[in-house]
Amino acid sequence: MYKAVEVLGLTKWYGNILAVDHLNFEIQEGEIFGFLGPNGAGKTTTIKILIGLVKPSEGTAKIFGFDIMKEARDAKKNIGIVWEESNIYPELSAWENLMFSGEIYHVGKKERQARATELLEKFGLYDRRNDKVGGFSKGMKRRIAISMALINHPRLLFLDEPTSGLDVQSSVLIREVIKEENKNGTTVFLTTHNLEEANLMCDRVAIINKGKIITIGSPENLKRTIIKAQSVVVSFGIANQQISEELTKLRAVNKVIKEGDKFRLFTEDPPSVLESVWEFAQKKRLKIISINTMGPSLEDVFLFLTGTGRGG
Amino acid sequence: MSISIILKEELEAALAIAKKDIKIYYLKAPTLMFAIIFPFAMFFAFAVGRDVPLSMLFSGLISITLLFSASSIGPSALPLERRIKAYDRLIAAPISGYTVIIGKVLSGWIFGIIIGLIILGVSLLTFKLQVFNPLSLLLGLIIGSFCFSMLGTMLAMLPRENPGDVMLLLNFIRLPLIFISGIFIRVETLPYWGQIASIFSPLTYTNDLIRLGLEGRSTFSPLLNSAILVCFSAVFLYLAKKIDAMFRE
Repeated sequence: MYKAVEVLGLTKWYGNILAVDHLNFEIQEGEIFGFLGPNGAGKTTTIKILIGLVKPSEGTAKIFGFDIMKEARDAKKNIGIVWEESNIYPELSAWENLMFSGEIYHVGKKERQARATELLEKFGLYDRRNDKVGGFSKGMKRRIAISMALINHPRLLFLDEPTSGLDVQSSVLIREVIKEENKNGTTVFLTTHNLEEANLMCDRVAIINKGKIITIGSPENLKRTIIKAQSVVVSFGIANQQISEELTKLRAVNKVIKEGDKFRLFTEDPPSVLESVWEFAQKKRLKIISINTMGPSLEDVFLFLTGTGRGG
Repeated sequence: MSISIILKEELEAALAIAKKDIKIYYLKAPTLMFAIIFPFAMFFAFAVGRDVPLSMLFSGLISITLLFSASSIGPSALPLERRIKAYDRLIAAPISGYTVIIGKVLSGWIFGIIIGLIILGVSLLTFKLQVFNPLSLLLGLIIGSFCFSMLGTMLAMLPRENPGDVMLLLNFIRLPLIFISGIFIRVETLPYWGQIASIFSPLTYTNDLIRLGLEGRSTFSPLLNSAILVCFSAVFLYLAKKIDAMFRE
């Protein structure tokens, strides 16, 4: 069986700037794969190469065994794309947008009408199908954009920041539909800045920085790789700079960050820190309102690996 | 997959793009401004009041209207689609780059023919003009409009996101063409350099076909005019693809 995505030595130069530096990775069919990285890391360039918008300077990318450059037509037939901006046609109705997408993906008339009806109903927009999408809210536009991407029953769905800037209701609905499509066999390539979203949805994530993949693995495995990002979160009811400075001096504490009315103490040894905090509270006559030990979040992993780590 | 199925799918996709453009761009302000108002303004500024036969005047009006209308759809549509990233949607679809271009050209082509037929109809009914060669007239409308639509689409392949930028560049080409293509002054009466320049203008051959239709005389044979316009179209198509590929590298 072919892999959904197979990238080998993928490199892209823009003049003297190396945007993507010899990337190698594979995505298995049926996976939800997260592609994370700071702005300018090379995420967009990689996606543009994978969907055939940009030619690589070196290397190859295959979609279900089809080379995206040499067998572009066959490769692209397997793809659905949801762009970061909802690049739909505001002058056309929701229905017309979906029909157009079906036509350029060679979906037969009856099939695209049935699929459009199914998708619009699923996204709660069937009653608005004849309205021009220019008047839709951002969340509704994004739902139309996702419907357009799904009209051809893609085997591989690219999602670029699918829930960015959306209301909670739209975000939840979109995540549910993506999970449902994935359950039905669609492989998902997800780019997001929302690391909690990646954590909740992805089977594996890759973190890219300065054009290179710096790590790749399941979210839980990645979290385990940075022991320094374990922490103890404590609230004394008050939180000021003086307490913060004193907490920094406690045994086994690497770093302290004030988070609202709480302090987050990064450590490699949470039990020792719990003990120190208890002693500190007794000594300073502070009441501990709450105290929790926390494992590293995907955000910690991301910040740590991209060089802006806060875990110490 | 067989070639015939691929061709059928590509043709259907091109028609879908054209249909979508017709719905969206025919009544957009830049289209109406540059496609209809502009040629009329040019016509009234340079032709009205001069002692020339009506048949020549209206041949010229139809020719420049074809030029301005057919070439305006691509430059109206493509920059706007680039701005909202809808052009990327087309390029990422499983269709050839040529299909995208042809789809864009078809919408401009049909627009040019519609506007040309309206002007022709009004001219024939109002001024009782005679049609000497209907075939030549038809060829002028059909091939001329296609060639001009291709010209507009070719320039619209430049990576601009503002229709005005492309229209400005297009006008640098369209306006001089009017003066060297026998619209207001017959090619035969142009100075030598003008006659040489007229050879490189597709408007010369379109106007010649329409003149044969309405005046009954032309400089070149309709077959030669048509063949040259087809060649111009092919060159514009090739360059359009090259420009697109160059800026997407």
